[in-house]
Amino acid sequence: MKKNSKRMVSAAIYSLLLFTLFGCNKEDVQKLPQRNWQLVWSDEFDGSAGMSPDSTKWKFDIGNGGWGNAELEYYTNRTTNASLDGNSNLVITARRELYSGSAFTSARIKTSGLFAQSYGRFEARIKTPWGPGMWPAFWLLGSNIDSIAWPQCGEIDIMELRGQKPNIINGTVHGPGYSGGAGISKNFAFESTRFDVDFHLFAIEWGTDYIDFFVDSTLYQEITPADLTGNWVFDHPFFIILNVAVGGNYVGFPTNQTPFPQSMIVDYVRVYREVN
Amino acid sequence: MKKIKSIYSIAALLTILLMAVGCERKFDGLQLATYPTTPEVFVDGFSSGLYYAAYGTSKVTAFSVDYNVKYLGVAAMKFEVPDTSDPNGSYVGGVFGTNPARDLSGYNVLTFWAKASEPANLIEVGFGNDMGASKYKVTLTNLAVNSNWMQYYIPIPNPSLLKEERGMFFYAAAPKNGRGYTFWIDDLKFEQLGTVAHSTFGILNGNDSIKDNAETGDEYTIADLYATFNLPTGINQKVGLAVSYFTFTSSNPSVATVDDYGNIEIADSGTAVITAKVGDADAEGSLTIHSTGESVGPNNPPPAPTIDPDKVISLYSDAYTNVKVDTWNTHWLYSTAQNLEIQISGENVMHYWDLNFVGIEFTSQPIDATAMTHFHIDIWTPNPTTDKTFKIKLVDFGANGMLGGGDDSESEVTIASPPLATQQWISLNIPLSAFSGLLSRSHLAQLILSGDLPNVYTDNVYFSDNGTQPTEPTTAAPVPTFSSADVISVFSDHYTNLAGTDFYPDWGQATIVSEVLIAGNNTLKYKGLNYQGIQLATNQNVSAMGYLHLDFWSVTSVSLNVFLISPGPVEKAYTLTVPTTGWTSVDIPLSYFSTVDLTNLMQFKFEGNGDIFMDNILFHK
Repeated sequence: MKKNSKRMVSAAIYSLLLFTLFGCNKEDVQKLPQRNWQLVWSDEFDGSAGMSPDSTKWKFDIGNGGWGNAELEYYTNRTTNASLDGNSNLVITARRELYSGSAFTSARIKTSGLFAQSYGRFEARIKTPWGPGMWPAFWLLGSNIDSIAWPQCGEIDIMELRGQKPNIINGTVHGPGYSGGAGISKNFAFESTRFDVDFHLFAIEWGTDYIDFFVDSTLYQEITPADLTGNWVFDHPFFIILNVAVGGNYVGFPTNQTPFPQSMIVDYVRVYREVN
Repeated sequence: MKKIKSIYSIAALLTILLMAVGCERKFDGLQLATYPTTPEVFVDGFSSGLYYAAYGTSKVTAFSVDYNVKYLGVAAMKFEVPDTSDPNGSYVGGVFGTNPARDLSGYNVLTFWAKASEPANLIEVGFGNDMGASKYKVTLTNLAVNSNWMQYYIPIPNPSLLKEERGMFFYAAAPKNGRGYTFWIDDLKFEQLGTVAHSTFGILNGNDSIKDNAETGDEYTIADLYATFNLPTGINQKVGLAVSYFTFTSSNPSVATVDDYGNIEIADSGTAVITAKVGDADAEGSLTIHSTGESVGPNNPPPAPTIDPDKVISLYSDAYTNVKVDTWNTHWLYSTAQNLEIQISGENVMHYWDLNFVGIEFTSQPIDATAMTHFHIDIWTPNPTTDKTFKIKLVDFGANGMLGGGDDSESEVTIASPPLATQQWISLNIPLSAFSGLLSRSHLAQLILSGDLPNVYTDNVYFSDNGTQPTEPTTAAPVPTFSSADVISVFSDHYTNLAGTDFYPDWGQATIVSEVLIAGNNTLKYKGLNYQGIQLATNQNVSAMGYLHLDFWSVTSVSLNVFLISPGPVEKAYTLTVPTTGWTSVDIPLSYFSTVDLTNLMQFKFEGNGDIFMDNILFHK
């Protein structure tokens, strides 16, 4: 069905990381150690317009009920909520429409049961939706969630955005003792552009004792066990989730002025592991 | 700080350049004169070159500089909205301009902070009002302010156009529920914000509108111009735009031209689509024009009426003295009708176009048409009339002579085709009894024309007394001359009729059916027709026949259709021309009813109004 034109050849990429120090001028940069990455999983979202995302890579979460956050949408597996655009992008679209008792629809897809990995580099190139109440996210959940439950399983939010602040994203980890509003978090803000006018790369680089958060080539947050107010639970495989929530505790209600429909456009999702 | 150069420096510069060529001297680093790019309008005081002018009719003392209430710094702009009853002015408004003009092309938004003594909505704020052409005016209407300082944004749609702008800010505000309040504006300045994004533009409120039946020479103007921007707060904001931000295109300039100001003129028949752009961005909304070309109108006036003036109350005719008509077009809400009186061979004719409905009022002197028997109007339309209607409504204001009061009544008559016909004068002479919903006609005050014909010329609008109308024929219907071998007769004294026909089946109708003797001849009478059936005892095969024949007589009907019906039911209507002058005989080719199964004919049906007499209902070869 789906032809994968992906380079699955082991592509090693080398990144020279520039660390912008807080409180320093832009010119002051810190050289981070070289890391050598090998691609192990990706979806480039090639395919014809209107196709559902590759079912060998993604499953749908379906339903409403708020997903633990008092979200307002009903997640469906309809192509009107998630489909390829024919230009090698995945488009997740939130709509203002009555559907099975909810006032909004959207989509939430995950690699649970299909792909999970511990450590490495997880990245996605994304253009976000906008408007009050829009809550797009690219995030990871511990794949043991069904056996030991949240937050013990751990959660890594690589990118979350509140639509009323279209120039600010947050990177956050949740775990036992630092979940929900107590998650360990930092934001990254553009001064004179927004995350919805162009694609940007959101990434983490995750090792046994660190998680580094990036926007494009900028490292804006490093979390180590010392930063946590609980145990380090980032030592087992995590799976990937992409979704656009509408409303909810994190973002607040959409307003009449929120333009709908709103789409999160994902160019690709790639996962690497570190090789020596 | 900033270099300020005036018009004169441009002239001087040009002179120098010309001289430079002549002398073959090089002027490295010379730049064309530009206007200052000062972004501040009012931050802690008037910026360089800023002046204030209050609108002439407003309370001109409303604006002052406040050193106590301010968002930041040392001062804010304060506006005191008066009470409605303030003798010095009942609203506030004005313009902040600059001299010299400024180059705003490096900015994309005007921002400010505002608060008010109580929640209120300002009528409008914006920039680009230079108290002249205001070519690049941008208006944000109904701005909600409250007692907290909040930041507001007015985006610049196409900054590259604003290289010489004098209108820095304008505002207008009115009392709230008749009472005044105060609002403040601070940190008013132009900025370049990357966090303002996703601009869209539109004309006609973003609608794809259609203009049918346009004619050569008609003029229209594109209105309702806007832009929307997504603000740094994620919400969309709509602003009204001056026309100069847009460029307009006609898909077919030979049909319709459009100028820089969105003015459209129809040049020929055909279809043209008007679209617009702001810079390189397509605007939402369009106007599709279907033009019928050169205006088609009557070459001659209608025949002059011949009724004695003593028996006429005329509203519009050169043949009579007309009573006072307050208006020939009330321009009621949702009415698109336009009208113009024209002369044809010296005769006045009223032309209506874009006619959906039009009110004609004579309320100041209502008409007492109690003694009149008919309403007359001549109409001429260039429009096709097949399956179209023209409607005439009369409204009586009742004993109080005024609209309302529970004593008003109205009635509408619908004219079908025929008698409607295209490009010829049609004389409609409608018995007032056909306006059956009128409880009285002693205080007639409105005439309302409507229907499906957008383009109608009218003349000779009058009520007349045509004398006592006969209520029934005085002579029998003409005796048919068909050979009895060639006839299947349903109702006639001259042939053997089909047996067992039911002339008054109960289909829930209001019509009163009777058989009456007219000059010794049995005649079918429908009194107060709404509809009426005739049920044949057994279904008939009339396919060997060529025509349906019938004779009919009516002075009160203005609508009459006859239907043939086969099982299904499958039915087909034929329109009979009423009222009649004496008996009318018709022979309708059965091919007209070809959609009906003529081998299995089951029923007749009549629909219409008034009192009808009929005879010799039969099929013949």
